[in-house]
Amino acid sequence: MISNFIPGLIMIITSFLLPTIPQYFRHPAMLLSVGLSALSLFNGYGTFLEWDILGLNLILYQSDSLTLPFAIIFHIAAILVIIFSWHSKNLMEHMATLAYAGSAIGALHAGDFFSLFIWWEATALTSVFIVFAGNTNAAKDAAMRYLIIQVSSGVLLLIGACLMLYQTGNHNLAVLDLKTNFGIFIFIAFGIKAAFPLLNGWLQDSYPESSVTGTVALSAFTTKLAIYALARTFPGTDTLIWIGAIMTAFPVFFAVIENDLRRVLSFSLNNQLGFMVVGIGIGTELSLNGTVAHAFVHIIYKALLFMSMGAVLYRAGTTKASELGGLYKYMPFTTIFCIIGAMSISAFPLFSGFVAKSLIMSSLGGMGMVLIYFILFFASAGVLEHSGIKIPYFAFFAHERKNKVKEAPINMLIAMGIAAFLCIAIGVFPKYLYQILPYAVEYQPYTLDHVISQLQLLVFAIIAFLFLVKFKLYPSEIRSTVLNSDWFYRKMLPGIGKPLFKKIGLLTDSLYKNLGLSFKQVLSKSYKFSNLSYIKVTTPSFAGTILISILFIMLVIVLV
Amino acid sequence: MKKNDLKSMGKSFTKYILIIGALLILLDFTFHRHEYFSFAEIYGFPAFFGFVSFVFIVMLGKWLRKFLMRKEDYYDQ
Repeated sequence: MISNFIPGLIMIITSFLLPTIPQYFRHPAMLLSVGLSALSLFNGYGTFLEWDILGLNLILYQSDSLTLPFAIIFHIAAILVIIFSWHSKNLMEHMATLAYAGSAIGALHAGDFFSLFIWWEATALTSVFIVFAGNTNAAKDAAMRYLIIQVSSGVLLLIGACLMLYQTGNHNLAVLDLKTNFGIFIFIAFGIKAAFPLLNGWLQDSYPESSVTGTVALSAFTTKLAIYALARTFPGTDTLIWIGAIMTAFPVFFAVIENDLRRVLSFSLNNQLGFMVVGIGIGTELSLNGTVAHAFVHIIYKALLFMSMGAVLYRAGTTKASELGGLYKYMPFTTIFCIIGAMSISAFPLFSGFVAKSLIMSSLGGMGMVLIYFILFFASAGVLEHSGIKIPYFAFFAHERKNKVKEAPINMLIAMGIAAFLCIAIGVFPKYLYQILPYAVEYQPYTLDHVISQLQLLVFAIIAFLFLVKFKLYPSEIRSTVLNSDWFYRKMLPGIGKPLFKKIGLLTDSLYKNLGLSFKQVLSKSYKFSNLSYIKVTTPSFAGTILISILFIMLVIVLV
Repeated sequence: MKKNDLKSMGKSFTKYILIIGALLILLDFTFHRHEYFSFAEIYGFPAFFGFVSFVFIVMLGKWLRKFLMRKEDYYDQ
């Protein structure tokens, strides 16, 4: 029975039951539901649940070697988030978080595009409440924008799925290409959630607005679900190599000048997704393994970094670099955990990022893709800059702090401690990670060449940082907004649209007035005509001409 | 002994990083570092690449402020 239960569904059911559970038992109940859902990880591979409805065969629960690593890490992330939010009494956020994690896990096990669509939208609808839980006006506005974008992605996916069914008679998840129209629709749908260049605005817009704990949950699921979906349907699509390379390089510059450290992490998240997308684009067994491994370790260290910034926000009340600094004295454990996360994401040897990123770099090197290889190598220096140095430096060091703050609550420290432990454990014993990857590939990340090359890059990038700080060339923290691709729909479109609609409004107003006038004229004329019986040919007034031509144009449009 | 202020921490950190950096460069002379691309096998190439990339990223980012930076309440106006 339990083996046929869709993984994640038990978490969604529990989330709906949470209001009936007393406060003290809510977190244990949440953990229990994740544990029950995790039993599915031992089911092995195969198709476990199908449903024939409306003439469609929906594959609701299937599992294979690509599903499993994502399912494992999604469960781990859910556990981390629950422990991290143990102190919180925000029921709505707990419900949303659990249902969101459950939906993401459910989505991993969908075997056809329609089932995937349902979960795809479920993750959108549940996660929007997490953004909403930021509980500021900015968070509420960001949540609405987030919802529109996420639902649009779902609609594109549905259009793609319908077109595919119509054209091929098949709607199962399969490898697609960009030569078909439905392939393009599905590609863009995935691309929105994977935060492709110019489609990424929602990510940096919404994540930093969420609550202390909410951002941690958000960082784990949506984008990695998109990576999973891309890896399943578009492996070896060359376009992805370039898209991914752009994603690794561009957010780096934005992260340098961004003041809100949680937004810096969101740019950094975008850059990390780039590495995974490149891996999918190459499409070899080694590179796909690299993508999955990178997604796996990335979820942990990114959650760790967001947790440390969450703890800072919780205790110091802000994550703005311009207002922080010197917290190492008051939050020593958080500082250490943050540095472990920073070293992991920067891919220092013996940390988890190194053993995952090496797979992608080696597959690029092996294919002789010199330009992409060095874009990613360059981006690695960028990762060190914003996540490796900027985050810990501005939050915990930079300058002495005047006001005293407390260390993070114990539950936060436990969650960060587990994540930090995993970062190091995977870095030191990569073979356990490699065992669960989709393809059996013999790979040794710790060769002397590799280690020395990476260390040289990182250490001399740190020296560059020290050099820039010493000569006061490093940009100082300034309270500011950094423009991103969400500018197009937050500023540019309203900038064009508002005056335009105002003009149209004025036009329709005057039209109505003139319409009324001309009606009166017609009436009075007909009155005269009927009473005085004289015929006089009058030219139609100007307003009448406009009215008639508009009616004519509308008629043409309707007929066409 | 306990030096807890940021300046001395920064100084000793700088010292150790410079020593590690020097060791890494010296190590390059002791063995042949295999890379995927031959020009990357030049002595100290990754170190040079890392240093230059970092400075480039920070400087370009700083320059981009001219175009991308707005007031904090930009979107609320």
